[in-house]
Amino acid sequence: MTGHVSIRLASERVNHSVSSSNVLPRFYTPGEVITGTQDFMRGHGTYAEDDCLKSSVAGVMQKVNKLICIRPLKSRYVGEIGDVVVGRILEVQQRRWKVETNSRLDSVLQLSSVNLPGGELRRRSVEDEQMMRMYLQEGDLISAEVQSLFSDGSLSLHTRSLKYGKLSQGTLVKVFPSLIKRRKNHFHNLLCGVSIIIGNNGFIWISPLMQDLMIEESKDEINNYESQSVSKSDREAMARVKNCILALVASKMMLDDTSIMFAYEESLKYDSVKDLLDPEAMLDIAFLTQHKINNIMDE
Amino acid sequence: MPGPDLLSSQGLRLDGRRPNELRRIRCKMGVFTQPDGSAYLEQGNTKVLAAVYGPHQAAKSKSSTEGVVVNCQYSMATFSTGERKNRPRGDRKSQEMSLHLRQALTAAIKTELYPRSQIDVYVEVLQADGGAYCVCVNAATLALIDAGIPLRAYACACSASMAWHGGQPEPLVDVGHVEEAAGGVVLTVASLPSTENIALLEMSHRLHMDYFDVVLSRAMQGCRDIEVILDKAVREHLAEGWTKEDVVTI
Amino acid sequence: MWTSKTFLYKTKRGNILKIVREHYLRDDLLCGSGACKTCPHKDDEIVLMSQAESICALFDYPHYLVLDTNVVLHQIDVLEEDALTNVIILQTVLEEVKHQNTAIFQRLLEIIGNKRRKFYSFVNEHHKDTYVERNPGEKQNDRNDRAIRRAVAWYEAHLSINRVNIESPRVVLLTDDENNRKIAQDEGIICCSVKDYVENVNGFPGLVDKLSKNVIPENCSKDALYPAHLTPTQIHAGIRNGKLYQGIFHASRDNFLEGSVVVNAFEKSILLQGHIGINRAVDGDTVAIEIFPEEEWRKPSDIVLEDKSEDPGDLLEEETVLLKSTKTNSNDEVTPTGKVVGIIKRKWRQYCGILMPSRLPGATRHLFTPAEKRIPRVRIETRQSDVLASQRILVALDSWPRNSRYPLGHFVRALGPIGDKDAENEVILLEHDVPHARFSEAVLACLPPNDWTIPKEEINKRVDLRPICICSVDPPGCTDIDDALHARRIKGTTDDGLKKYEVGVHIADVTYFVRPNTALDKEAASRSTTVYLVDRRIDMVPDLLSSNLCSLRGGEERLAFSCVWEVDENANILSTKFHKSVIKSAAAMTYEEAQIAIDDESRKDEIASSLRVLNSLAKKLKRRRLDNGALLLASPEIRFQVDSETHDPVEVQAKKLMDTNSMVEEFMLLANISVAQRLAAEYPQCALLRRHPAPPPVNFVNFLKAARQQGFELDVSTNKSFSKSLDEAVIPGRPYFNTLLRIMATRCMQQAVYFSSGTCAQEDFYHYGLACPIYTHFTSPIRRYADVIVHRLLAACVGCDVTHASLLDNKAADALCDNLNYRHRQAQYAGRASVALNTHILFRNRVEIESAVVLAVKRNALQVLIPKYGLEGPLYLPSDKFTYNDEEHVQICGKVILKTFDELTVRLSLDSSNLQHRKLIFQLVKPYVPDFSYKVEDMDVEFVEESDLPQKIEKKRKGTEAKLSKKSKKK
Repeated sequence: MTGHVSIRLASERVNHSVSSSNVLPRFYTPGEVITGTQDFMRGHGTYAEDDCLKSSVAGVMQKVNKLICIRPLKSRYVGEIGDVVVGRILEVQQRRWKVETNSRLDSVLQLSSVNLPGGELRRRSVEDEQMMRMYLQEGDLISAEVQSLFSDGSLSLHTRSLKYGKLSQGTLVKVFPSLIKRRKNHFHNLLCGVSIIIGNNGFIWISPLMQDLMIEESKDEINNYESQSVSKSDREAMARVKNCILALVASKMMLDDTSIMFAYEESLKYDSVKDLLDPEAMLDIAFLTQHKINNIMDE
Repeated sequence: MPGPDLLSSQGLRLDGRRPNELRRIRCKMGVFTQPDGSAYLEQGNTKVLAAVYGPHQAAKSKSSTEGVVVNCQYSMATFSTGERKNRPRGDRKSQEMSLHLRQALTAAIKTELYPRSQIDVYVEVLQADGGAYCVCVNAATLALIDAGIPLRAYACACSASMAWHGGQPEPLVDVGHVEEAAGGVVLTVASLPSTENIALLEMSHRLHMDYFDVVLSRAMQGCRDIEVILDKAVREHLAEGWTKEDVVTI
Repeated sequence: MWTSKTFLYKTKRGNILKIVREHYLRDDLLCGSGACKTCPHKDDEIVLMSQAESICALFDYPHYLVLDTNVVLHQIDVLEEDALTNVIILQTVLEEVKHQNTAIFQRLLEIIGNKRRKFYSFVNEHHKDTYVERNPGEKQNDRNDRAIRRAVAWYEAHLSINRVNIESPRVVLLTDDENNRKIAQDEGIICCSVKDYVENVNGFPGLVDKLSKNVIPENCSKDALYPAHLTPTQIHAGIRNGKLYQGIFHASRDNFLEGSVVVNAFEKSILLQGHIGINRAVDGDTVAIEIFPEEEWRKPSDIVLEDKSEDPGDLLEEETVLLKSTKTNSNDEVTPTGKVVGIIKRKWRQYCGILMPSRLPGATRHLFTPAEKRIPRVRIETRQSDVLASQRILVALDSWPRNSRYPLGHFVRALGPIGDKDAENEVILLEHDVPHARFSEAVLACLPPNDWTIPKEEINKRVDLRPICICSVDPPGCTDIDDALHARRIKGTTDDGLKKYEVGVHIADVTYFVRPNTALDKEAASRSTTVYLVDRRIDMVPDLLSSNLCSLRGGEERLAFSCVWEVDENANILSTKFHKSVIKSAAAMTYEEAQIAIDDESRKDEIASSLRVLNSLAKKLKRRRLDNGALLLASPEIRFQVDSETHDPVEVQAKKLMDTNSMVEEFMLLANISVAQRLAAEYPQCALLRRHPAPPPVNFVNFLKAARQQGFELDVSTNKSFSKSLDEAVIPGRPYFNTLLRIMATRCMQQAVYFSSGTCAQEDFYHYGLACPIYTHFTSPIRRYADVIVHRLLAACVGCDVTHASLLDNKAADALCDNLNYRHRQAQYAGRASVALNTHILFRNRVEIESAVVLAVKRNALQVLIPKYGLEGPLYLPSDKFTYNDEEHVQICGKVILKTFDELTVRLSLDSSNLQHRKLIFQLVKPYVPDFSYKVEDMDVEFVEESDLPQKIEKKRKGTEAKLSKKSKKK
């Protein structure tokens, strides 16, 4: 790969902060005493020692009645039932797949939790077990939903809906899970001809629009779809979305369809998608997006 | 008197510090996007990058149901010292350093929270000018905090040495390369200053018992001073990265 | 709490290395001036007076002085005078001085430490306003000069801002660098040369004499006598490409035109001859030399040559005498020869000596003759020559320009009249670097009160040995008694049915009083040993301890460190224990008294029986030791009988040795060995031990040759065989021959040295002379610091005391050993010099004819020893009468053949013709050589004879060198 690479001095780096508020909340840092009394319940990011409740992470306090939690700025994904996640198959095991979902333990996708060709209510046979790798093999990306939590904190996933399943013909962006806004819907078809899946675990899947393809397709056609080429304009749009997400992430802005769409719109003033990787452009986009969001909020 | 002249007759050290002064500390958290947490820290001319991955599923061989496994890797860049030298990872010195690093960090991390998980800490010394271990511990602490990994308290490390001033023993905090090379004793302490716990204690030469306490307390004071500086840096980092959504109460 | 200021890099470029160092600049450094109102001084931090009165006529307003580096380096003697005060020493200067000359640096620190002198050291290098960065291409020196100027300017500005009234002080820069002065003037800084300043100082008349005459030696090319030295860069390049060699120059004692340099690349040392060859090198300097091609190599001359007594002006005299005598042919004896081309580092110190006033009345330039023969004469300038001519004086060297025959120096201080014993002793002490100042207040403050008695609780802590009959045996007149002994029968027998005895050696517990890291301890460590001069003792610890509280005097309760053995009657050790104790010596005896007590069979008292046991055990111990191969070496030892009033010696006699001498010695050896074993086991890294390396075979070559001439083949392969063959080498009828052999054997030995057990391999611990695998010094803590350390180590390992840091520190132990060895050696030399001095006084009014023996045969002299006095010196032989055979080392004149070990009769007298330089003269009486030997009949016309002796032959060694060896190998 040839081309111009710009490397700048650390001192000339762009400060990406887009402050949304001047009032700072109270921050807690590890080892700091939150409260001395026993009246509170110990939540995430806290621990009790010497009759005191202390913080174990650096972040802000969240208080629900008597439960005190400290939420760090970023951490690994902590799953909740119903979350939409994007994950990667790590391993094929006995009647289950191991899936990497950016949580602290690998997630599990049971063979019984996937839709297999030939009807939803079909019994799993021994053949199916032997065919597992045919459906999903190591390295495949899937979208799924958190079905339940195991006692050790690891997640059990399911893909028993048409909108979940194997992903192809797209690009994955990994962001910190804390930047993902929880929404009802995490599947969005953007107006620009790109569809995205914003996984709660911080994995974002960008692909060409595919609603027309997905409806009642036979398996063969899906295969075709995989081998279909994506037009250049689609690819450019995808890249632009991706760069917009990166710009927002660099400024630590929350991600949802609105912010991404706003960012996309703002990015259009840059002709070349490549230009969006320029730190100043990224800041510009983030700043304008924040501005737009603020406007909406004010309204 | 034992040891070379590390203190001038005016009570200043070779680089102009007083015996109880740390070197200048500058740091930045979240320097990488790829790892879960990362930090850059420089203490004087010793500069270190630290990256933390995890906690994530532990490799089967290491997995422990007791708690999280902390896996450290210490390495030095070829250009980190005056003489350019290829430094293979996993040479004896790095291995020892990795082990010591792990000891200090394990003491700080609330390991019991994450059974069957693993945390990888990679530290790379970009420039070594004395006290590399201490700087690594401090940088790794920042990276762990950046990764949102629960800690009991800050783990800070600081070194101290001994000099003579006017016939009286005078401990020196945060020993630089010149002072290290001068051959005096170097006591390295990794501790959780807010709990007064010591996680690791190492000494390079023999030191008489009579002076041990003063040197140790000087090193501990150094740890506390470093903690204050780190804490300030963490708060600044939080203020910078903070978004409104964070305070939304669930 | 901590403030890190603007932060700058200091870069040093080596070959590839780029070293980046931090350099913190601060804003909390004080100016130290009383006139300043801004710096937050505490009262004790103000050093410079607000009203600094001027003593210099050039500047009639109050001012502070700032010194340039070269001023400190060259004019330290001026600074040490109490004249200049209110001086600012910049850190830049301090560091440069430290780098260039540690001795001067120490002296400067001393001055700064003296509160009354008001010298303030200002850390300009770390001050935010006075730090200057080196510009690209700027030389380090220029940068430092600039830093100094910046600091001066800052001070001036700083003080003027704070100027409370008009009278607040200005700042004056003293520098001898013209260039610097010029730039400074341009920058508006008041400056002045030291010479101008000092010459205009009022009220300190002697100050001008101390001005150093530092001319830049290589610049005086006009009328140059000497070739120029190479520049440091040239030398460096020369050494790198192998054309030049580096080494330390050693001037010859006997011949002022000869010297040698030991160079790593050559086995033999490099010979340097003549003024040009030596080219202004002074003994001890590190020099760069060039080596001549092999055909120009010469042989060291055997002649003794002394600088002429008159001042020849700046001319180099003919060197034919030297060159002629060295033209020899035998190739095997030529040594590599070369010449000095540059001086890498001078090692000049202050030298004692006498002034040789110029003949011209009123002249200010005079010659100075140092007492040390290796040092050339020095030209100094003084206006007090009349006073100083009869004094011993101390002079410092300044420089040696190319056009000067002699180096230039300046007068430092007078020591006292020549011939005055105190002045002469002072010379001995100074020349041997013996610290002999009175104990400081801080040291005396560490002492217990005069009426100190042993506290109760101390007695309870110790083993109470007061009821036991302990006694001490020492030479007569000894006041620092550090050892006492006891022996008694104990119950039971060994398995073999042998009787059992308990034997104790009790050593004064000096460490009870000398606590680690006190001023007293540091002073004792620095002195390392008590120095014994004939009429004076320079104590290691103050008198109260050495002669009273630590001295194990008879009938007094004293603290002791005891080593107690159980032995059987064959003197085999059954058990050993060490403990601190309280003792009460029953009697402090002399060797003679003890001997009488043993011999007098009518005495049945406890002391006598104890002594008898000790004596018999000692004999068995000695026998066993000798069987192991210990060497019995001899050295001529004499005692002066001193006039009770004048303290002048009136008579000498060889020391008498009695059984009791060796009795005490055996037990001391035993104690030392026992302690050494214990220490080595307890402290593998830092035990203080003493070893005596086996002498290399080459040391024996001349000795064996001489012994062979007398018909003896000595076996020197091991100490055991050597000891045996020495015992057998006896000539019936010549009882002194065997002693003489042993005296000469002693001279072949290496020096025994202290060392720390960590620095040496176990097998090198061996003590050759004593034939024991391990040894240390434990028994004389009052007079040797080594013993103090050994006491502390032992006390710590038997649980009586705690260790302290430097005791267990390898490096500290090593440094300590170096100092101990150095001081020990210097003390020996000083002792010998003192004996020589007293011998001179003894012979002041007498002439004696004595029998003598030849110790060595030289080209133009015989080295003879007079056994009665233990006196040694050269007997010069004229070359027109004697021929020297260098194969056999004999001198031949007709039928008379003189060789080593021959017995002669000589006439001894003192040459007082030169009052300032007395020397002993040996003249041959028998065998008779016509026209040379002295005729005994002429005895009554003593001093007239002196003038007959041709001056040429009577070039004599100076008195202090007449060797009179004291006990050098024992213990």
